Amino acid sequence: MKRITAKFVPIGGIAIAFLLTPLAVRAQTFAGISGIVKDSAGKPVSDAQVSIKDVATAQSAEIKTNTAGAYMESDLTPGTYTVSVSAEGLTPQTSNVTLIASEDEHTDFVLGTEAQQQQETPPSKLPAAPQPNQQTSPAGNANTPSLQDLGFAASQTQGSAKEQALLNKRTHMLKVHQTLGLITAIPMVATLITGPQAKAKGKNGEPITEPTSANLDFHIALGGLTTGLYFATAYYAIFAPKVPGVKPKGAIRLHRDLAWIHGPGMIITPVLGIMAYKQENAGEKVHGIASAHGTAAYITAAAYGASIVAVSWPIHWKFWER
Amino acid sequence: MLRKKLAIALLLFALPLFAQADTQWVLQQSTLTYHMSHPMHEVNGVSHAAKGKGICHAGECNFLIAVPVKSFDSGDSNRDLHMIEATRGAQFPMVIVRTEFPEADTTSPTIYANLEVQFAGQTAHYQHVPFQRVTQGNQVRITGTIPATCSDFKIVRPSFLTVPIKNEIPVKVDMTWQKM
Repeated sequence: MKRITAKFVPIGGIAIAFLLTPLAVRAQTFAGISGIVKDSAGKPVSDAQVSIKDVATAQSAEIKTNTAGAYMESDLTPGTYTVSVSAEGLTPQTSNVTLIASEDEHTDFVLGTEAQQQQETPPSKLPAAPQPNQQTSPAGNANTPSLQDLGFAASQTQGSAKEQALLNKRTHMLKVHQTLGLITAIPMVATLITGPQAKAKGKNGEPITEPTSANLDFHIALGGLTTGLYFATAYYAIFAPKVPGVKPKGAIRLHRDLAWIHGPGMIITPVLGIMAYKQENAGEKVHGIASAHGTAAYITAAAYGASIVAVSWPIHWKFWER
Repeated sequence: MLRKKLAIALLLFALPLFAQADTQWVLQQSTLTYHMSHPMHEVNGVSHAAKGKGICHAGECNFLIAVPVKSFDSGDSNRDLHMIEATRGAQFPMVIVRTEFPEADTTSPTIYANLEVQFAGQTAHYQHVPFQRVTQGNQVRITGTIPATCSDFKIVRPSFLTVPIKNEIPVKVDMTWQKM
Protein backbone atom coordinates (compact mmCIF):
# COMPACT_ATOMS: atom_id res chain seq x y z
CA MET A 1 0.00 0.00 0.00
CA LYS A 2 2.83 2.31 0.85
CA ARG A 3 4.33 1.68 -2.56
CA ILE A 4 1.24 3.11 -4.24
CA THR A 5 2.10 6.55 -2.86
CA ALA A 6 5.44 6.25 -4.62
CA LYS A 7 3.64 6.64 -7.96
CA PHE A 8 3.03 10.26 -7.10
CA VAL A 9 6.56 10.91 -5.92
CA PRO A 10 8.19 11.37 -9.35
CA ILE A 11 5.35 13.66 -10.39
CA GLY A 12 6.05 15.73 -7.29
CA GLY A 13 9.75 15.77 -8.17
CA ILE A 14 9.07 17.03 -11.67
CA ALA A 15 6.67 19.63 -10.28
CA ILE A 16 9.36 20.88 -7.89
CA ALA A 17 11.78 21.06 -10.81
CA PHE A 18 9.44 23.29 -12.76
CA LEU A 19 8.84 25.44 -9.68
CA LEU A 20 12.59 25.92 -9.31
CA THR A 21 13.10 26.82 -12.96
CA PRO A 22 11.56 30.32 -12.82
CA LEU A 23 13.83 31.17 -9.87
CA ALA A 24 16.86 30.47 -12.04
CA VAL A 25 15.32 32.37 -14.93
CA ARG A 26 14.43 35.39 -12.83
CA ALA A 27 18.04 35.74 -11.72
CA GLN A 28 19.14 36.36 -15.31
CA THR A 29 17.00 39.36 -16.35
CA PHE A 30 18.49 42.64 -17.52
CA ALA A 31 18.07 45.09 -20.39
CA GLY A 32 19.73 48.08 -21.98
CA ILE A 33 19.13 51.30 -23.91
CA SER A 34 21.32 52.56 -26.71
CA GLY A 35 21.10 54.90 -29.65
CA ILE A 36 22.68 57.66 -31.67
CA VAL A 37 22.29 61.40 -31.25
CA LYS A 38 22.54 63.47 -34.42
CA ASP A 39 21.93 67.07 -35.31
CA SER A 40 19.44 68.11 -37.97
CA ALA A 41 22.20 67.91 -40.61
CA GLY A 42 22.67 64.23 -39.78
CA LYS A 43 26.03 64.67 -38.09
CA PRO A 44 26.72 62.75 -34.89
CA VAL A 45 26.62 64.90 -31.75
CA SER A 46 29.48 63.99 -29.46
CA ASP A 47 29.55 64.75 -25.72
CA ALA A 48 25.78 65.20 -25.64
CA GLN A 49 24.38 64.74 -22.13
CA VAL A 50 22.06 61.71 -21.92
CA SER A 51 19.95 61.19 -18.82
CA ILE A 52 18.21 57.83 -18.38
CA LYS A 53 15.65 58.04 -15.59
CA ASP A 54 13.75 55.09 -14.15
CA VAL A 55 10.16 56.33 -13.91
CA ALA A 56 9.34 53.91 -11.08
CA THR A 57 12.27 54.71 -8.77
CA ALA A 58 13.20 58.21 -10.05
CA GLN A 59 16.83 57.08 -10.12
CA SER A 60 18.76 58.31 -13.12
CA ALA A 61 22.02 57.58 -14.89
CA GLU A 62 23.97 60.35 -16.61
CA ILE A 63 26.15 59.44 -19.59
CA LYS A 64 27.62 61.21 -22.61
CA THR A 65 27.67 60.31 -26.28
CA ASN A 66 30.98 59.30 -27.84
CA THR A 67 32.56 60.78 -30.94
CA ALA A 68 30.16 58.78 -33.12
CA GLY A 69 27.20 60.26 -31.23
CA ALA A 70 26.43 56.87 -29.71
CA TYR A 71 25.26 56.30 -26.16
CA MET A 72 24.54 53.12 -24.30
CA GLU A 73 23.50 52.03 -20.83
CA SER A 74 23.20 48.37 -19.87
CA ASP A 75 22.19 46.39 -16.79
CA LEU A 76 18.87 48.15 -16.42
CA THR A 77 15.95 46.46 -14.79
CA PRO A 78 12.84 46.09 -16.98
CA GLY A 79 10.46 49.03 -16.75
CA THR A 80 9.75 52.45 -18.20
CA TYR A 81 12.54 54.97 -18.56
CA THR A 82 12.63 58.61 -19.62
CA VAL A 83 15.60 59.32 -21.86
CA SER A 84 16.55 63.00 -22.08
CA VAL A 85 19.23 64.29 -24.42
CA SER A 86 20.76 67.75 -24.43
CA ALA A 87 23.70 69.38 -26.17
CA GLU A 88 25.04 72.90 -26.32
CA GLY A 89 23.21 75.04 -28.87
CA LEU A 90 20.68 72.33 -29.67
CA THR A 91 17.13 71.77 -28.51
CA PRO A 92 16.86 69.08 -25.80
CA GLN A 93 14.70 66.06 -26.49
CA THR A 94 12.96 63.50 -24.32
CA SER A 95 11.55 60.08 -25.09
CA ASN A 96 9.93 57.36 -22.99
CA VAL A 97 11.27 53.84 -23.45
CA THR A 98 9.83 50.63 -22.05
CA LEU A 99 12.36 47.89 -21.41
CA ILE A 100 11.57 44.20 -21.48
CA ALA A 101 13.81 41.67 -19.75
CA SER A 102 16.80 40.62 -21.84
CA GLU A 103 15.90 42.99 -24.65
CA ASP A 104 17.89 46.06 -25.66
CA GLU A 105 16.00 49.09 -26.93
CA HIS A 106 17.50 51.33 -29.58
CA THR A 107 16.33 54.94 -29.49
CA ASP A 108 17.89 57.60 -31.71
CA PHE A 109 17.56 61.35 -31.33
CA VAL A 110 17.75 64.17 -33.83
CA LEU A 111 18.43 67.49 -32.10
CA GLY A 112 17.45 70.61 -33.98
CA THR A 113 18.55 74.17 -33.31
CA GLU A 114 16.33 76.68 -31.57
CA ALA A 115 15.30 78.06 -34.95
CA GLN A 116 14.25 74.65 -36.13
CA GLN A 117 12.26 73.88 -33.01
CA GLN A 118 8.91 74.38 -34.67
CA GLN A 119 9.76 71.88 -37.39
CA GLU A 120 11.62 69.49 -35.19
CA THR A 121 11.65 65.84 -36.05
CA PRO A 122 10.46 63.74 -33.13
CA PRO A 123 12.94 61.22 -31.78
CA SER A 124 12.88 58.15 -33.93
CA LYS A 125 12.55 54.78 -32.34
CA LEU A 126 14.17 52.49 -34.81
CA PRO A 127 13.03 48.94 -35.23
CA ALA A 128 15.47 46.15 -34.59
CA ALA A 129 17.04 46.39 -38.02
CA PRO A 130 20.58 46.92 -39.24
CA GLN A 131 21.77 50.34 -38.17
CA PRO A 132 24.09 52.64 -39.98
CA ASN A 133 27.64 52.38 -38.83
CA GLN A 134 27.72 53.80 -35.35
CA GLN A 135 31.46 53.83 -35.04
CA THR A 136 32.51 55.51 -38.21
CA SER A 137 34.82 58.36 -37.52
CA PRO A 138 34.09 61.66 -39.15
CA ALA A 139 35.46 61.62 -42.65
CA GLY A 140 39.19 61.90 -42.38
CA ASN A 141 41.07 64.74 -43.96
CA ALA A 142 44.37 64.50 -45.79
CA ASN A 143 46.26 64.32 -42.50
CA THR A 144 43.97 62.09 -40.45
CA PRO A 145 43.01 58.60 -41.60
CA SER A 146 39.39 57.56 -41.30
CA LEU A 147 37.70 54.19 -40.91
CA GLN A 148 36.60 54.38 -44.54
CA ASP A 149 40.26 54.56 -45.59
CA LEU A 150 40.94 51.10 -44.20
CA GLY A 151 38.83 49.21 -46.70
CA PHE A 152 36.55 47.22 -44.45
CA ALA A 153 33.38 45.88 -46.02
CA ALA A 154 30.19 47.64 -44.97
CA SER A 155 28.91 44.39 -43.48
CA GLN A 156 31.86 44.41 -41.09
CA THR A 157 31.46 47.96 -39.86
CA GLN A 158 27.69 48.30 -39.66
CA GLY A 159 26.16 47.48 -36.32
CA SER A 160 22.98 45.49 -36.00
CA ALA A 161 20.67 45.99 -33.03
CA LYS A 162 18.70 42.97 -34.19
CA GLU A 163 21.74 40.70 -34.11
CA GLN A 164 22.73 42.09 -30.71
CA ALA A 165 19.24 41.35 -29.38
CA LEU A 166 19.53 37.80 -30.72
CA LEU A 167 22.89 37.35 -29.00
CA ASN A 168 21.51 38.78 -25.76
CA LYS A 169 18.62 36.35 -25.83
CA ARG A 170 20.96 33.48 -26.66
CA THR A 171 23.28 34.29 -23.77
CA HIS A 172 20.35 34.74 -21.41
CA MET A 173 18.94 31.32 -22.29
CA LEU A 174 22.34 29.64 -22.09
CA LYS A 175 22.99 31.18 -18.68
CA VAL A 176 19.73 29.68 -17.47
CA HIS A 177 20.80 26.42 -19.15
CA GLN A 178 24.10 26.53 -17.26
CA THR A 179 22.52 27.34 -13.91
CA LEU A 180 19.84 24.67 -14.21
CA GLY A 181 22.41 22.19 -15.50
CA LEU A 182 24.55 22.60 -12.41
CA ILE A 183 21.50 22.41 -10.14
CA THR A 184 20.41 19.21 -11.93
CA ALA A 185 23.73 17.56 -11.12
CA ILE A 186 22.88 17.63 -7.38
CA PRO A 187 19.73 15.42 -7.43
CA MET A 188 21.33 13.34 -10.19
CA VAL A 189 24.25 12.39 -7.94
CA ALA A 190 21.87 11.83 -5.02
CA THR A 191 19.73 9.56 -7.22
CA LEU A 192 22.80 7.51 -8.11
CA ILE A 193 23.78 7.22 -4.44
CA THR A 194 20.30 6.14 -3.35
CA GLY A 195 19.97 3.69 -6.27
CA PRO A 196 21.69 0.69 -4.62
CA GLN A 197 19.72 1.29 -1.43
CA ALA A 198 16.50 1.23 -3.39
CA LYS A 199 17.47 -2.03 -5.02
CA ALA A 200 18.65 -4.00 -2.04
CA LYS A 201 20.03 -3.21 1.38
CA GLY A 202 22.62 -5.25 3.17
CA LYS A 203 22.36 -5.69 6.91
CA ASN A 204 25.24 -7.12 8.89
CA GLY A 205 26.57 -8.57 5.68
CA GLU A 206 23.31 -10.39 4.92
CA PRO A 207 21.36 -9.13 1.88
CA ILE A 208 17.65 -8.63 2.23
CA THR A 209 15.34 -9.49 -0.62
CA GLU A 210 13.52 -6.16 -0.91
CA PRO A 211 14.36 -2.52 -0.32
CA THR A 212 12.43 -0.50 2.20
CA SER A 213 9.59 1.64 0.88
CA ALA A 214 11.26 4.74 2.27
CA ASN A 215 14.44 4.10 0.30
CA LEU A 216 12.52 3.39 -2.88
CA ASP A 217 10.27 6.43 -2.52
CA PHE A 218 13.24 8.69 -1.90
CA HIS A 219 15.08 7.30 -4.91
CA ILE A 220 12.04 7.73 -7.14
CA ALA A 221 11.48 11.29 -5.89
CA LEU A 222 15.09 12.21 -6.64
CA GLY A 223 14.85 10.55 -10.05
CA GLY A 224 11.69 12.50 -10.85
CA LEU A 225 13.30 15.76 -9.73
CA THR A 226 16.39 15.03 -11.82
CA THR A 227 14.30 14.22 -14.89
CA GLY A 228 12.22 17.37 -14.57
CA LEU A 229 15.25 19.60 -14.07
CA TYR A 230 17.11 17.87 -16.89
CA PHE A 231 14.45 18.54 -19.48
CA ALA A 232 14.01 22.12 -18.27
CA THR A 233 17.78 22.50 -18.71
CA ALA A 234 17.64 20.95 -22.17
CA TYR A 235 14.81 23.29 -23.19
CA TYR A 236 17.00 26.37 -22.66
CA ALA A 237 19.79 24.91 -24.82
CA ILE A 238 17.60 23.55 -27.61
CA PHE A 239 15.53 26.70 -27.99
CA ALA A 240 18.34 29.23 -27.54
CA PRO A 241 18.56 31.27 -30.78
CA LYS A 242 21.08 29.97 -33.28
CA VAL A 243 23.52 32.41 -34.82
CA PRO A 244 23.64 31.91 -38.60
CA GLY A 245 26.99 31.04 -40.10
CA VAL A 246 28.65 29.95 -36.87
CA LYS A 247 29.87 26.37 -36.80
CA PRO A 248 30.47 24.83 -33.37
CA LYS A 249 34.19 24.72 -32.64
CA GLY A 250 36.22 23.69 -29.63
CA ALA A 251 34.99 22.16 -26.38
CA ILE A 252 31.40 23.15 -27.09
CA ARG A 253 31.29 20.48 -29.81
CA LEU A 254 32.00 17.70 -27.32
CA HIS A 255 29.51 19.24 -24.91
CA ARG A 256 26.86 19.15 -27.63
CA ASP A 257 27.76 15.66 -28.89
CA LEU A 258 27.57 14.15 -25.40
CA ALA A 259 23.91 15.17 -25.35
CA TRP A 260 23.32 12.33 -27.80
CA ILE A 261 24.26 9.97 -24.95
CA HIS A 262 22.75 11.58 -21.86
CA GLY A 263 19.65 12.83 -23.72
CA PRO A 264 18.35 9.38 -24.69
CA GLY A 265 19.72 8.13 -21.36
CA MET A 266 17.45 10.52 -19.48
CA ILE A 267 14.48 9.01 -21.32
CA ILE A 268 15.52 5.36 -21.12
CA THR A 269 16.61 5.40 -17.47
CA PRO A 270 13.26 6.55 -15.98
CA VAL A 271 11.35 4.17 -18.30
CA LEU A 272 13.47 1.24 -17.12
CA GLY A 273 13.10 2.49 -13.55
CA ILE A 274 9.31 2.44 -13.84
CA MET A 275 9.48 -1.09 -15.27
CA ALA A 276 11.75 -2.20 -12.40
CA TYR A 277 9.44 -0.55 -9.91
CA LYS A 278 6.40 -2.37 -11.32
CA GLN A 279 8.21 -5.70 -11.24
CA GLU A 280 9.26 -5.19 -7.62
CA ASN A 281 5.79 -3.99 -6.71
CA ALA A 282 4.39 -7.20 -8.20
CA GLY A 283 6.67 -9.19 -5.92
CA GLU A 284 9.01 -10.16 -8.73
CA LYS A 285 12.73 -9.86 -8.82
CA VAL A 286 13.76 -7.20 -11.33
CA HIS A 287 14.42 -8.98 -14.60
CA GLY A 288 14.74 -8.52 -18.33
CA ILE A 289 15.52 -5.15 -19.79
CA ALA A 290 14.48 -3.43 -16.56
CA SER A 291 17.60 -4.83 -14.90
CA ALA A 292 19.61 -2.44 -17.10
CA HIS A 293 18.12 0.54 -15.22
CA GLY A 294 21.22 0.98 -13.04
CA THR A 295 23.67 0.61 -15.93
CA ALA A 296 21.74 3.11 -18.04
CA ALA A 297 21.72 5.54 -15.12
CA TYR A 298 25.48 5.33 -14.61
CA ILE A 299 26.22 5.81 -18.32
CA THR A 300 23.82 8.76 -18.46
CA ALA A 301 25.34 10.39 -15.39
CA ALA A 302 28.88 9.81 -16.67
CA ALA A 303 28.02 11.45 -20.01
CA TYR A 304 26.31 14.30 -18.19
CA GLY A 305 29.33 14.87 -15.95
CA ALA A 306 31.68 14.74 -18.94
CA SER A 307 29.45 17.26 -20.67
CA ILE A 308 29.85 19.72 -17.77
CA VAL A 309 33.62 19.23 -17.73
CA ALA A 310 33.83 19.59 -21.52
CA VAL A 311 32.09 22.97 -21.62
CA SER A 312 34.31 24.19 -18.80
CA TRP A 313 37.48 23.14 -20.58
CA PRO A 314 40.31 24.13 -20.39
CA ILE A 315 40.22 24.22 -16.62
CA HIS A 316 43.01 25.92 -14.75
CA TRP A 317 43.25 23.31 -12.00
CA LYS A 318 45.53 25.13 -9.59
CA PHE A 319 43.00 27.89 -9.02
CA TRP A 320 43.99 28.09 -5.37
CA GLU A 321 47.35 29.50 -6.45
CA ARG A 322 45.68 32.53 -7.98
CA MET B 1 73.40 83.27 -65.49
CA LEU B 2 69.86 82.60 -66.60
CA ARG B 3 70.32 78.89 -65.93
CA LYS B 4 71.54 79.64 -62.43
CA LYS B 5 68.51 81.81 -61.67
CA LEU B 6 66.21 79.16 -63.08
CA ALA B 7 67.79 76.49 -60.94
CA ILE B 8 67.45 78.63 -57.79
CA ALA B 9 63.85 79.43 -58.64
CA LEU B 10 63.03 75.74 -59.13
CA LEU B 11 64.76 74.87 -55.90
CA LEU B 12 62.85 77.55 -54.00
CA PHE B 13 59.61 76.33 -55.53
CA ALA B 14 60.35 72.72 -54.66
CA LEU B 15 61.49 73.28 -51.07
CA PRO B 16 58.01 73.80 -49.59
CA LEU B 17 56.86 70.64 -51.34
CA PHE B 18 59.62 68.64 -49.67
CA ALA B 19 58.92 70.29 -46.35
CA GLN B 20 55.23 69.35 -46.43
CA ALA B 21 55.71 65.85 -47.82
CA ASP B 22 53.53 63.38 -45.95
CA THR B 23 54.72 60.01 -44.84
CA GLN B 24 52.15 57.28 -44.97
CA TRP B 25 52.21 53.97 -43.15
CA VAL B 26 50.06 50.95 -43.86
CA LEU B 27 49.55 48.02 -41.52
CA GLN B 28 50.89 44.95 -43.30
CA GLN B 29 50.17 42.23 -40.76
CA SER B 30 49.09 42.06 -37.17
CA THR B 31 48.34 39.78 -34.28
CA LEU B 32 46.09 41.16 -31.57
CA THR B 33 45.53 38.93 -28.55
CA TYR B 34 43.19 39.65 -25.67
CA HIS B 35 43.70 37.74 -22.47
CA MET B 36 40.81 36.81 -20.21
CA SER B 37 41.44 35.42 -16.77
CA HIS B 38 39.18 33.48 -14.42
CA PRO B 39 40.19 31.42 -11.38
CA MET B 40 39.45 28.30 -13.44
CA HIS B 41 40.22 29.56 -16.93
CA GLU B 42 42.93 31.32 -18.87
CA VAL B 43 41.73 32.28 -22.34
CA ASN B 44 43.42 34.04 -25.23
CA GLY B 45 41.47 35.38 -28.20
CA VAL B 46 43.48 36.12 -31.32
CA SER B 47 42.75 38.25 -34.37
CA HIS B 48 44.82 38.82 -37.48
CA ALA B 49 42.15 40.96 -39.16
CA ALA B 50 43.25 44.43 -38.08
CA LYS B 51 43.73 47.13 -40.68
CA GLY B 52 45.55 50.35 -40.11
CA LYS B 53 46.85 53.50 -41.66
CA GLY B 54 49.13 56.24 -40.43
CA ILE B 55 49.80 59.70 -41.81
CA CYS B 56 52.69 61.85 -40.67
CA HIS B 57 52.33 65.48 -41.59
CA ALA B 58 54.13 68.59 -40.38
CA GLY B 59 55.96 66.65 -37.69
CA GLU B 60 52.85 65.02 -36.27
CA CYS B 61 51.67 61.45 -36.91
CA ASN B 62 48.06 60.26 -36.80
CA PHE B 63 47.43 56.54 -36.77
CA LEU B 64 44.17 54.65 -37.00
CA ILE B 65 43.85 50.91 -36.40
CA ALA B 66 40.56 49.02 -36.54
CA VAL B 67 39.63 45.38 -36.06
CA PRO B 68 36.25 43.62 -36.17
CA VAL B 69 35.19 42.28 -32.76
CA LYS B 70 33.96 39.11 -34.46
CA SER B 71 37.42 38.34 -35.80
CA PHE B 72 38.79 37.33 -32.39
CA ASP B 73 39.08 33.57 -32.10
CA SER B 74 39.54 31.90 -28.71
CA GLY B 75 39.26 28.37 -30.11
CA ASP B 76 35.71 27.90 -28.85
CA SER B 77 32.79 29.21 -30.90
CA ASN B 78 30.46 29.34 -27.90
CA ARG B 79 32.90 31.45 -25.91
CA ASP B 80 33.47 33.75 -28.89
CA LEU B 81 29.74 34.34 -29.31
CA HIS B 82 29.45 35.06 -25.61
CA MET B 83 32.34 37.51 -25.91
CA ILE B 84 30.59 39.29 -28.79
CA GLU B 85 27.40 39.47 -26.76
CA ALA B 86 29.13 40.72 -23.60
CA THR B 87 31.06 43.38 -25.51
CA ARG B 88 27.99 44.40 -27.56
CA GLY B 89 30.02 43.43 -30.62
CA ALA B 90 27.01 43.02 -32.91
CA GLN B 91 25.84 46.56 -32.24
CA PHE B 92 29.33 48.05 -32.12
CA PRO B 93 31.23 45.70 -34.43
CA MET B 94 34.60 47.44 -34.60
CA VAL B 95 37.38 48.15 -32.16
CA ILE B 96 38.88 51.45 -33.28
CA VAL B 97 42.15 52.78 -31.95
CA ARG B 98 43.42 56.26 -32.68
CA THR B 99 46.73 57.68 -31.65
CA GLU B 100 48.91 60.64 -32.46
CA PHE B 101 52.50 61.38 -31.55
CA PRO B 102 55.41 63.48 -32.80
CA GLU B 103 56.99 62.17 -35.98
CA ALA B 104 60.37 62.24 -34.25
CA ASP B 105 59.15 59.40 -32.00
CA THR B 106 58.86 57.06 -34.98
CA THR B 107 62.60 56.52 -34.88
CA SER B 108 62.95 55.86 -31.15
CA PRO B 109 63.09 52.26 -29.88
CA THR B 110 60.16 52.87 -27.52
CA ILE B 111 57.11 54.85 -28.55
CA TYR B 112 54.89 56.18 -25.77
CA ALA B 113 51.47 56.56 -27.34
CA ASN B 114 48.29 58.16 -26.09
CA LEU B 115 45.50 55.93 -27.29
CA GLU B 116 41.83 56.58 -27.84
CA VAL B 117 40.01 53.27 -28.01
CA GLN B 118 36.41 52.90 -29.15
CA PHE B 119 34.97 49.56 -28.14
CA ALA B 120 31.62 48.22 -26.98
CA GLY B 121 29.97 51.59 -27.58
CA GLN B 122 32.34 53.34 -25.20
CA THR B 123 35.51 55.37 -25.61
CA ALA B 124 38.49 54.94 -23.30
CA HIS B 125 41.80 56.78 -23.24
CA TYR B 126 45.15 55.29 -22.29
CA GLN B 127 48.10 57.59 -21.72
CA HIS B 128 51.79 56.89 -22.36
CA VAL B 129 51.36 53.26 -23.38
CA PRO B 130 54.84 51.95 -24.26
CA PHE B 131 55.34 50.15 -27.56
CA GLN B 132 58.62 48.58 -28.63
CA ARG B 133 59.76 49.43 -32.13
CA VAL B 134 62.11 47.38 -34.28
CA THR B 135 63.04 48.38 -37.84
CA GLN B 136 63.15 45.55 -40.37
CA GLY B 137 64.16 47.06 -43.72
CA ASN B 138 61.34 49.26 -44.94
CA GLN B 139 59.04 47.83 -42.32
CA VAL B 140 58.63 48.57 -38.65
CA ARG B 141 57.48 46.04 -36.10
CA ILE B 142 55.59 47.42 -33.13
CA THR B 143 54.86 45.33 -30.02
CA GLY B 144 53.20 46.25 -26.76
CA THR B 145 50.21 45.74 -24.53
CA ILE B 146 47.11 47.91 -24.17
CA PRO B 147 46.06 47.74 -20.49
CA ALA B 148 42.33 47.48 -21.20
CA THR B 149 39.80 46.58 -18.53
CA CYS B 150 36.14 45.57 -18.66
CA SER B 151 35.12 48.57 -16.58
CA ASP B 152 36.76 50.98 -19.05
CA PHE B 153 34.09 49.94 -21.54
CA LYS B 154 31.24 49.22 -19.12
CA ILE B 155 31.38 45.53 -19.97
CA VAL B 156 29.51 43.38 -17.51
CA ARG B 157 32.07 40.75 -16.60
CA PRO B 158 30.93 37.26 -17.63
CA SER B 159 30.98 34.77 -14.80
CA PHE B 160 31.47 31.06 -14.48
CA LEU B 161 30.23 29.21 -11.40
CA THR B 162 29.08 32.61 -10.14
CA VAL B 163 32.70 33.91 -10.16
CA PRO B 164 33.26 36.77 -12.64
CA ILE B 165 36.31 37.01 -14.85
CA LYS B 166 39.06 39.44 -13.86
CA ASN B 167 38.47 43.05 -14.75
CA GLU B 168 41.75 43.22 -16.66
CA ILE B 169 41.61 42.16 -20.32
CA PRO B 170 45.05 43.22 -21.61
CA VAL B 171 45.44 43.24 -25.38
CA LYS B 172 48.84 42.26 -26.75
CA VAL B 173 49.71 44.00 -29.96
CA ASP B 174 52.16 42.79 -32.58
CA MET B 175 52.01 44.83 -35.77
CA THR B 176 54.17 45.23 -38.83
CA TRP B 177 53.89 48.58 -40.60
CA GLN B 178 55.08 49.36 -44.09
CA LYS B 179 56.25 52.82 -45.02
CA MET B 180 54.66 53.84 -48.33
